Amino acid sequence: MLTRIAITTLLLALTTCADAALKIGDPAPEFTGIDTGGNKVTLSDFRGKPVILEWSNHDCPYVRKHYNSGNMQKQQQAATGRGAVWLSIISSAPGKQGNVTPARADALTAERKAAPSAVILDESGDIGRLYGAKTTPHMFIIDAEGKLAYMGGIDSIPSTNPADIEKATQYVPAALDQVMKGEPVTASVTRPYGCSVKY
Amino acid sequence: MARLFALLFLLFAVSGVAPASDSAQTEQVQLKLLAEREAAIPGRTLWLGLRFELIPHWHVYWRNPGDSGEAPRIDWQLPDGWRPGNIHWPTPQRIEVGPLVSYGYEDSVTLLVPISVPPDQASGERVDIATDVSWLVCREECIPQNARLQISLPVAQGSDRPAPRNDFDAVRARWPVALPGHAAYLREDGKLTMRIEASGWHDKQPASIWLAPNDWGPVAPSQPQTWRFDKDVLVLSLPEGDAPLAEGASVDGLLVVNDATSGSTHGFTLSAMPFDTGSAPAGEPQVTLFLALGFAALGGLLLNLMPCVLPVLSIKVMSLVQHAGNRSAAHGLVFGAGVLTSLLALAALLIALRAGGTSLGWGFQLQEPWVVVALLYLMLAIGLNLSGVYSVGSGLAGVGQGLTESEGLRGTFFTGVLAVIVASPCTAPFMGTALGFALTRPPPETLLVFAALAVGFSLPMMLLGFWPRWVSLLPAPGPWMERLRNALAFPLYATAAWLLWVLSQQVGPSGLAGALTGALLLAFGLWWLGQPLRPRALRNVLAGALICASLALMVSAGAGAPARPEPFEHQSWSRERVSELQREGRAVLVNFTAAWCITCKVNEKVALSTDAVRQALDDRGIAYLKGDWTNRDSAISEELRRHGRGGVPLYLLYPPGQGSPEVLPQLLTEGLVLQALSRIEKI
Repeated sequence: MLTRIAITTLLLALTTCADAALKIGDPAPEFTGIDTGGNKVTLSDFRGKPVILEWSNHDCPYVRKHYNSGNMQKQQQAATGRGAVWLSIISSAPGKQGNVTPARADALTAERKAAPSAVILDESGDIGRLYGAKTTPHMFIIDAEGKLAYMGGIDSIPSTNPADIEKATQYVPAALDQVMKGEPVTASVTRPYGCSVKY
Repeated sequence: MARLFALLFLLFAVSGVAPASDSAQTEQVQLKLLAEREAAIPGRTLWLGLRFELIPHWHVYWRNPGDSGEAPRIDWQLPDGWRPGNIHWPTPQRIEVGPLVSYGYEDSVTLLVPISVPPDQASGERVDIATDVSWLVCREECIPQNARLQISLPVAQGSDRPAPRNDFDAVRARWPVALPGHAAYLREDGKLTMRIEASGWHDKQPASIWLAPNDWGPVAPSQPQTWRFDKDVLVLSLPEGDAPLAEGASVDGLLVVNDATSGSTHGFTLSAMPFDTGSAPAGEPQVTLFLALGFAALGGLLLNLMPCVLPVLSIKVMSLVQHAGNRSAAHGLVFGAGVLTSLLALAALLIALRAGGTSLGWGFQLQEPWVVVALLYLMLAIGLNLSGVYSVGSGLAGVGQGLTESEGLRGTFFTGVLAVIVASPCTAPFMGTALGFALTRPPPETLLVFAALAVGFSLPMMLLGFWPRWVSLLPAPGPWMERLRNALAFPLYATAAWLLWVLSQQVGPSGLAGALTGALLLAFGLWWLGQPLRPRALRNVLAGALICASLALMVSAGAGAPARPEPFEHQSWSRERVSELQREGRAVLVNFTAAWCITCKVNEKVALSTDAVRQALDDRGIAYLKGDWTNRDSAISEELRRHGRGGVPLYLLYPPGQGSPEVLPQLLTEGLVLQALSRIEKI
């Protein structure tokens, strides 16, 4: 009994350490990922610009809702057009849904006319765990000083129905707007919805 | 990859079923729309169920899906005027997918929804009930699915009882019940520490306990929760979720307990408040110590007028006036001392018994049948004395007959004690509230309240002691005194008769017969005592023997089997029954009463059993439960204590669905009850 408790506690402690609870205003955890071009992408390189992190899995019905309708691409274009950096991160483990080769990822980006600054392949799930990414999509906005300004869902209606996009409040453009004006974000923590990240 | 695409395409193709029937099938899920009964009844609730049957390893979600996922959504298309209620969710499981945790159901789950049928629904026709259901079914990957289901039901007459079509009681058994204790939480360093009252759980050996929050935000699903017992309190350590709690917000959720021995899982709904708002239950009476002291003194004063006390005191007053002379002031004070001592002793006994763990409240003395019989005998004995059947010699704590001065003071002291004893079956107005309050407070406050009661009780006697000239208003001594004494026996006989009635509710007919026989023997013995027979020793012995026999019968009567319960048209109270009725969408009126509680009986007669109240209960579908505290019942004692009361009566009105009750005042009027009931919606 005691050994079981000890082992469980140890294992849980490990997962806990990896998944520290982030709070708004905390410095966003630093990471270095590899993009589809094989280049290293480090968060601190973008200091001075807002950075948006989008966890994705192209097969997830919730991600498809936002891509098929063009909602995600529209937001990516608007954000990058304003000088922000948009990173799409795929944390699916090898063999799991959403896991793609760099070539496949680029093909998907072209097919869907997506406009991220880079697509990072996080097969080990390290970056996902660092941020506590739970769903696809799961959105984070980091301000120009490197502090976490928004974390949560893409919008306010958790469903797979594209018709709900019009009726929902889109959180990311609103938050980005406030970040770029230097104002505190009003809806800074919202419920992320979607499929689970396939670690 | 292509194969995966093809599979997904196929799955999507079958996920929506076009023709309207009562069931739908996808590769993972078989869904069926069920009705509890063969027909709908106008004005009553119709329960409908959606039964999901899943292939192994796939799951659907609870109201809070957890880290990811989506709860099933139900959109009803009902006839005009029909209103759907909320989905009643069975207790979910924790489903782990990698490092993430969801709350949901594997294998099968039936979601029940109450539909209220309007009273003006025309009967004799069939109605169509349709629903659009959408859900997410996942194993590791998720598939959103939807279906449109339809059934048609006839509408029965209001008086019909349509046959059951599906057994939903097994489903209801998987519903969570209300937590039997209070819960409060404290936030510190990203953790929520929740303290939950859980007396009696420790010995149930739970294998695991965890909290499923009702909504996303306060508690993180995937982070570990720990639990431990701190004596009678369950302490849960919960990781805070992403959304910080607002000030004073409650944490609502389900406590899921896995029983080690039976392997079964139980869910308990709880709503935990932050620690600093205190854990006072809603509607606790705002009785302060000051008010309780006032009530106690007033109650004590009124107690002098109670039929059990008045005769004893009247006789004492007369003898005092006659024989006390200029020491009447001392007599008054000594009487007060006797009353104070015995009341404080009673309070101390009560405190000691409660500290020892026995759950008692005021009136506890009458929960023991043998005490009731003893008091019955006492009333009878004193009554017979006043009727002149026998007389008590000088030197005993008598009811006043030629006491000498020195014995007088001691006699007066014991009269005070006796007065308290004979007063115990009677509770004056205001006394109940004061004592109820006193018994939930720390010992010093309890003793203070009892002392106030003693002061109020002995006040008239003490005043008379100081100003004996008031009694000069009485006519000069004469034969009228004897007649008055005889007359005053009758209130005592009346009290004895009432105690007999109380006893009849506590023990069966044979116990009652035993008590009556004992009373007869006692009367005979006392009469014998009063006869001028020689030798006196023999007379005394015979009388004593008869009295002993009656005492023996008293004890055996007290141990008699309890009476078979009367056939009530209302139901017996239990916590589970209240939760059950609330879940069925009914409000519940609970009446905690006891046979020996006069206030309770008066309230019942005047305010609860009237036609208007009965009609109001029927109209609003309010269930009426009675908690009978005539005999010792620890569940009821515990419930009384939870609401800050030390005794009966207690009236609680629970709203339908979920929620804490409104506490009604101890003195009821019909208008008051109707007003409270009117706050419940008509069904």
